[in-house]
Amino acid sequence: MYDFIRGPLIPIAFVIFILGLIIQLVQFFKLTKKKEWVYPPLEVKSEKKKVGQWIAFCFASLNGTLWKTDPAMTMMTSIFHVCLIVVPIFLLGHNILLDQSWGFSLWSLPEFITDVLTLVVLICVAFFLARRLFLSRVRAITTVTDYVILLIAAAPFLTGYLAYHQWFNYNAVMTLHILAGEVMLITIPFTKLGHMLFFFLYRFLIGGEYSFAKGARAW
Amino acid sequence: MSNQETKPIDTKKIQEMLNRKKGKMKRYLSHCAHCSLCAESCFLYMAHDKDPQYMPSYKAINSLGKLYKKRGKVDRKHLSEIKGIVWRNCVLCGRCYCPVGIHIPSMIAFARSILRSQDVYPQLDEVSSESWL
Repeated sequence: MYDFIRGPLIPIAFVIFILGLIIQLVQFFKLTKKKEWVYPPLEVKSEKKKVGQWIAFCFASLNGTLWKTDPAMTMMTSIFHVCLIVVPIFLLGHNILLDQSWGFSLWSLPEFITDVLTLVVLICVAFFLARRLFLSRVRAITTVTDYVILLIAAAPFLTGYLAYHQWFNYNAVMTLHILAGEVMLITIPFTKLGHMLFFFLYRFLIGGEYSFAKGARAW
Repeated sequence: MSNQETKPIDTKKIQEMLNRKKGKMKRYLSHCAHCSLCAESCFLYMAHDKDPQYMPSYKAINSLGKLYKKRGKVDRKHLSEIKGIVWRNCVLCGRCYCPVGIHIPSMIAFARSILRSQDVYPQLDEVSSESWL
């Protein structure tokens, strides 16, 4: 089991992750089609503004957005999602493994920074958990699946943090860390975590008032 | 007794309708992160002292979500509950905002269509305004 988690399950997880995303992408394009009439996204008129006017304009633009209605959650979720992507990709340990396996690696962040960012991810997870437990409006729509999904997202970071600081049994924690990463990769295309891909499809490709781009497709 | 209370439910028709839009609606339901960030975009939620029942996500999950969860095998009681959610708690103004990009109004509108197919809808002309739902 130990060898399976540290060995063949890693490429299996990556294959399921990539194939799963490709299947979801193909299905999305099959289910949607190009449309002639496109809901125009909100346009910002570009007038020449002084620096002070620009700053005032930027702050005024936040009115009515999530930054105004729920700034704490908006800030936490933005930081969380950036760290969720940045930390594993630019982690020194991962890049050393990548170099040893495939002979190439990405640019790495200093270990101190990734260590702090991992802690930031865990703080964000604690914040989300607290919301689920104590905010009535979040509790009203929370199911057991939501807690499981939160655990799946947090586990690689929690175990990674413990392994880096060599708390508890290093080998056991490291195996758990690898397993947590594999579980996360496998579940992304087929669960709620699929919003990793579908956020971009919904917000950029599907036409709508809130589209970030032209959104030239419809269901 | 009105037709709404006596007509048998055509579950096959409901299932057929659910299957027709399964690809889109199931994805919307499954990608909802249950974050509740859509809440403040609903004027009814704000006007009802931030009652969670008026949250756009709550309304979609407890109407269309329930229909999919039960695979269309619902009884009059279920449809009556959903009727209150999709007509009384939502006016389909289309102002709800989802950060993930889920189009909630289309889910509520679809739930309404399914209810209409079973003759379940508000009858404003037959009953007093207080009890139209």
